[in-house]
Amino acid sequence: MAGGAQRSPANAGAVGPDAPLTRTVGRRIFLKVLGSAAPAAAAAACAPLPAEQIIPYVVPPEDVVPGVAAWYATVCGECPAGCGMLVRTREGRAVKVEGNPEHPLNRGALCIRGQAALQGLYNPDRFDGPRQRRRPGGDGPGDGLLEPVGWPAAQQLLVERLQAAREGGGPGRIAVVTPLLTGTLDRLVARWAAAVGARRLRYEPFAHEALRAASRAAFGLDAVPRYDFARPDLVVSFGADFLETWLSPVEHGRAFAEGRRRGGGLRTRLVQLEPRQSLTGAQADEWLALEPGTEGLVAAAMVHAIIAERRVLLPRAELGAAVRLFELVRDHAPEQVSGRTGVPAAAIRSLARRFADPAAGGGRTLAVGGGVAAGGAAATAVQIMVHLLNHVAGNTGATVAFDAPTGDGPAVPGSWSGAGTYRGLRALAADMEAGAIDVLLLHDVNPVHALPDGAGFAAALANVPTVVSTAACPDETAALADLVLPAHTPLEAWGDAEPAGGVRGLQQPAQRPLLDTRHLGDILLDAGRALGGEVAAALPPEGDFPALLRDEWRAAHAAAGGGDFEVFWADAQRRGGAFEPARTASVALRRAVIEAPLELDPGRGERPFTLVAYPSAHLYDGRGANRSWLQEVPDPLLKTTWSSWAELAPETARALGAEDGQLLHIESDHGAVDATLLVNPHLRPGVVAVPLGQGHTAYGRYASGRGVNAAALLDPRPEEAGGGPRWLGTPVDVAPRAVRRPVPRLQTTFDQDGRGIARAVTLEELAAGGPSAPAEEPFSLYPDHAHPEHRWGMAIDLDTCTGCNACVAACYAENNVPVLGADEMRRGRTMAWLRIERFVEDGPAGPDNRFVPMLCQHCDHAPCESVCPTYATYHTDEGLNAQIYNRCVGTRYCANNCPYKVRRFNWSEPEFPAPLDRQLNPDVTTRTVGVMEKCTFCVQRIREAQDGAQDAGRAPRDGEITPACAQTCAAQAIVFGDLNDPASRVSRLAADRRAYRVLESLNTRPAVTYLRKVRRA
Amino acid sequence: MTLGATTDDVLRTIGRPGRAYAAAVAGLLAVLAVAAAAFAHQVGSGLGVAGYQPPILWGVYITNFVFWIGITHSGTLISAVLFLFRARWRTGVARASEAMTVFAIMTGALFPIIHLGRPWVFYWLMPYPNARELWVNFRSPIIWDLFAIMTYLTVSVVFLYIGLLPDIATARDRIRDWRRHVYRLLALGWSGSDREWHHYRSLYGLLAALAVPLAVSVHSVVSWDFATTLLPGWHSTIFGPYFVAGAIFSGVAMMITLLAPMRTLLGLERYMQIRHFDNLGKLLLVLSLVMTYAYGMEFFVAWYSGNPFEQGAYWARLTGPYAPLTWTMLACNSAVPLVLIARRVRTYLPALFAVAIVVNVGMWLERYVIVVSSLAREFDPANWTGLYDPTWVEWAITAGSFALFGLLFLLFVKLFPPIAMHEIKEQAEAA
Repeated sequence: MAGGAQRSPANAGAVGPDAPLTRTVGRRIFLKVLGSAAPAAAAAACAPLPAEQIIPYVVPPEDVVPGVAAWYATVCGECPAGCGMLVRTREGRAVKVEGNPEHPLNRGALCIRGQAALQGLYNPDRFDGPRQRRRPGGDGPGDGLLEPVGWPAAQQLLVERLQAAREGGGPGRIAVVTPLLTGTLDRLVARWAAAVGARRLRYEPFAHEALRAASRAAFGLDAVPRYDFARPDLVVSFGADFLETWLSPVEHGRAFAEGRRRGGGLRTRLVQLEPRQSLTGAQADEWLALEPGTEGLVAAAMVHAIIAERRVLLPRAELGAAVRLFELVRDHAPEQVSGRTGVPAAAIRSLARRFADPAAGGGRTLAVGGGVAAGGAAATAVQIMVHLLNHVAGNTGATVAFDAPTGDGPAVPGSWSGAGTYRGLRALAADMEAGAIDVLLLHDVNPVHALPDGAGFAAALANVPTVVSTAACPDETAALADLVLPAHTPLEAWGDAEPAGGVRGLQQPAQRPLLDTRHLGDILLDAGRALGGEVAAALPPEGDFPALLRDEWRAAHAAAGGGDFEVFWADAQRRGGAFEPARTASVALRRAVIEAPLELDPGRGERPFTLVAYPSAHLYDGRGANRSWLQEVPDPLLKTTWSSWAELAPETARALGAEDGQLLHIESDHGAVDATLLVNPHLRPGVVAVPLGQGHTAYGRYASGRGVNAAALLDPRPEEAGGGPRWLGTPVDVAPRAVRRPVPRLQTTFDQDGRGIARAVTLEELAAGGPSAPAEEPFSLYPDHAHPEHRWGMAIDLDTCTGCNACVAACYAENNVPVLGADEMRRGRTMAWLRIERFVEDGPAGPDNRFVPMLCQHCDHAPCESVCPTYATYHTDEGLNAQIYNRCVGTRYCANNCPYKVRRFNWSEPEFPAPLDRQLNPDVTTRTVGVMEKCTFCVQRIREAQDGAQDAGRAPRDGEITPACAQTCAAQAIVFGDLNDPASRVSRLAADRRAYRVLESLNTRPAVTYLRKVRRA
Repeated sequence: MTLGATTDDVLRTIGRPGRAYAAAVAGLLAVLAVAAAAFAHQVGSGLGVAGYQPPILWGVYITNFVFWIGITHSGTLISAVLFLFRARWRTGVARASEAMTVFAIMTGALFPIIHLGRPWVFYWLMPYPNARELWVNFRSPIIWDLFAIMTYLTVSVVFLYIGLLPDIATARDRIRDWRRHVYRLLALGWSGSDREWHHYRSLYGLLAALAVPLAVSVHSVVSWDFATTLLPGWHSTIFGPYFVAGAIFSGVAMMITLLAPMRTLLGLERYMQIRHFDNLGKLLLVLSLVMTYAYGMEFFVAWYSGNPFEQGAYWARLTGPYAPLTWTMLACNSAVPLVLIARRVRTYLPALFAVAIVVNVGMWLERYVIVVSSLAREFDPANWTGLYDPTWVEWAITAGSFALFGLLFLLFVKLFPPIAMHEIKEQAEAA
């Protein structure tokens, strides 16, 4: 892609020896050193800039109009959920990603990891080309370092090694490990692996093995169900963090918010049972801290109560099953399990009654189990019991549905069917250890870091003669590879994804590859063709991967009997794929599952504490750790940044004599780590919770050396029935050490001190007519601002906001917000224009968490405006509180006088290490040291929409303007619009009965209205 | 004692400096150099090298600013007010206090610039005609500050200079080294005629009358930097008089701090008598009581307001992370000065000096507590933060400000008669 402007090399050095000086010493720096600088420096600073020769496009590319963004629909590659994505490109580079509104899963929203996909593309530590390890005994120096090598040589080397493995030891001496791929690439890898005689494994750290095993046992399908979170009145979640990492968080988040927004007294109630409150648990109306690993007992007790109280909601034909089912749970009456689980029998009975309510009918509730919190030694039994619980409440086929399988087998497309298991990977590792694998090809997986026994996997890698990694960025596994063939990142690659039944997302490259990388498909195609013989015969004879992709789509289109392919293809490119309604399978409960006894209680270990290793909504399994936004944005619950830690309940910490910020030594039978203690009151006593995903050693500058890897502590044995890792329940010892190492934390108290920042209302109060909408604004001595055309405003619904931080990352991406790093954050410094404040009130049914997105309130009586001595901040006639960066002298007076504390000061010159600077939005100024900045309501997006409307000869429509934060919100909690227009959504919400403004009594007259959270009674 | 002896006594002090003087100047210059390096580092790297911990966006620099502007009140109050009230004991200390005023303004006025994010464009704070028609925001108290301080500086310099005029003329006539050229220039041809004395008296009286309301206004305006904001702990109607009283309090303490050693070192026991210090001690005691009342009112009003933000801010001041500083401040400003009730303490210079040092520390801490602890506990608990921890850069620049002040004062007492000779002679004649 030709750049728009290039400096001619002939001119670069033409200005003489002072050229570098003039390029780095500008007027500003010159003034800084004024007084000490010699007249010579003055002369240099006044010299003209070096001449640049600007070459215009001779033949301009068709889709690049300077100053106008081009959007490409693609698929998010940050986790297996496969959300649709739109990439905004400017002059040939991707600058922003947004959810694809036409995609049936995420419908326009993205999570924080999706927003940070750009930092995978522009990661400053990426491999810029293939690498080969200099091994002892080779030709060159045997120092074990990775040295650059050309692609032809690298491909040749791969082919040689594959050839040797095929000839040397027969089939099965080659292995290919990929993540859970779907679609054309997955089929190609499968074909290729079959042709070369390779073992193939789709490895995901969170592969939902137990859930799939339970579905096999209960319904004969190797699948995760499709859950409906929008319809049920009651959701009971046994540890499933369905708003963070579990299955498809954006899809769930959107549906869950819909369920809560139904109105008319209908609002999904969420009951969450887990040993540590997750972000999902923080949304719960009732949160029950149960003993880790006893989820199955509570589910069984609910089944027991439902059957015993004759509340079973099953068709008459299946009632017989209920009788046999009761035998299964006979010993699990609520009273019998409450001691072990820590959940009162009355609570279980009450929950069971609400869960299966014959008066309401079947299919009105939903139980989900899973995630790490239900990932203990009895995980599969727990999942079976959750299936049974849903079944007796009549939810199977309603709120819990399965997509139709493709054939007679248990495989269901798009339902994690093909994903491997942890046990499968362990078996591969054992073969590697035994020397049974000659060539191991690893694509986009990092088992050395993510596996419970990562060290074991690393040792096994040493016994594999040729380890080939296609990692785009260096990671712990690639660090042990012999050959690195860096593949494109998802934003540079063609592909498709079939993450759910009926959904075929088309992944288009949003820009030309940034570096010297190749598509995995092309690496395999070329290697396969070079191998010749039956391998080449099994692969398409010619064409690269994009051609293969197109051919497959063409074939599928023809098979479906649809007309002109070119029209279809253009439409798929525009829409981001082809979407059809899913076909639901009708399933029946297998008798065997209720006849075999279930071991629901794994028992307690020898050591006094129980470990819960939980995934982070930011880092997922750890793959997000090299994205600086994901490190910088504070953890949604604990507001920590750039680190990991260990959580203990206050009573546990007291008993140990340990204090917040002190180092804890945690030891299991399998490993030991030292992590900083954070006291977390929302944790079951006796539990140690450690987040997963940190503790990288070789994952680039942002990830390496931060915190500890909790996976090192885990029991490496796979769970018996399902074969998944045991994230939960490893017994550990904990000892405080006499070292303080506090982690950077941006919010230290969650008590709002009765100040009414985050307000709530009960459903009953709402039904009774209260509270009332904000009253007339108080009297003012000064004339009001005139807003002749528009007054932009925002409404934020605290009832649906989950505090997930996606908006925060979207704001970083849209507005060129710099990342400061851990040291600055220790001083509480951040540049975030938008933050999520968390407050917790003690409620009758557990903690009442409230999340308040806090951004510039664009006050009509802005306290910041009157104190600025230079008019750097002022009020526009569209109601925006504007900041003129180059008029700001940096008194910081405005920030002191801002009661919301949303103004951010540039403590140093912002840094965007190359090539992260290519992500900068050209429509937004980057700021310099010493000036104040803050939320602009995405004024550039307002202007863009206004300009578009003006070109079309009309006024901007309501909903046409969406700031980046509102755009990405899965819950659609943020609404933006014109407060001057009484019919706009934001105006109507501002007059809602739940509406209030933060710190209203100060008479700042904010343009942001908050809607009270709806609280349980 | 003859009039000539007075002249000799005073002019002897501005004779050739000794080694100790040179060492002191060198030491202060060294501190100043470190401060300059620290400031250069801050300008080069950005304000991040200071210890600011949001939401604490003002810290040591603003504390120093308020502190030094407070110190200025010694001069005008002692010199001008006592002049207007014909309190004759002022004569011995008036000159030094006027000089203190000028140097304290010069030192204090640097801090609003040092604390800027972009100090190289500090002149944007001034209204000046420019092609882009950019103007300053006259609603901003910072602009009020600028005007108040500039006015005060101008009047203080003129007041000091006019008072010096007859003494400069004396020095011009008596001193034979290179300085005589300077004195000749500065003496404006003063010949001591009746007409000149007549004009001198009216002008000096006029300037004294002008300086007093300015002294009151300047610290009121400084207090409005805080009082006109919304911030609990700053937003208070008592801030005007409270800051003025505090300023005078700290000014008197600083005067004692400087005059007591000066009296001994320069051998001016005859002119700065113990009764002068006794009077200063009484003033300090009264002002301490005024301050105690103001502190009481501050907390009382916060409690009585029923405003949870106010109550929270003041409660945090007494019990939060800054409580040790608050209590130290109260001990220094309200408790320790009570010993001045005893005449023996007031007339025993080492004790009086010690109390003055304690008050200096207390008043610096008072400004620190007002500036920092209010910012640390404002409206939204999500922003509450831990202890603001100033870095070496801030401490170096703070030390530099004391060095600058000391240096200017040292240079002054060696260049100009530190005591108003003509007034002493005038009084001696009258007596």
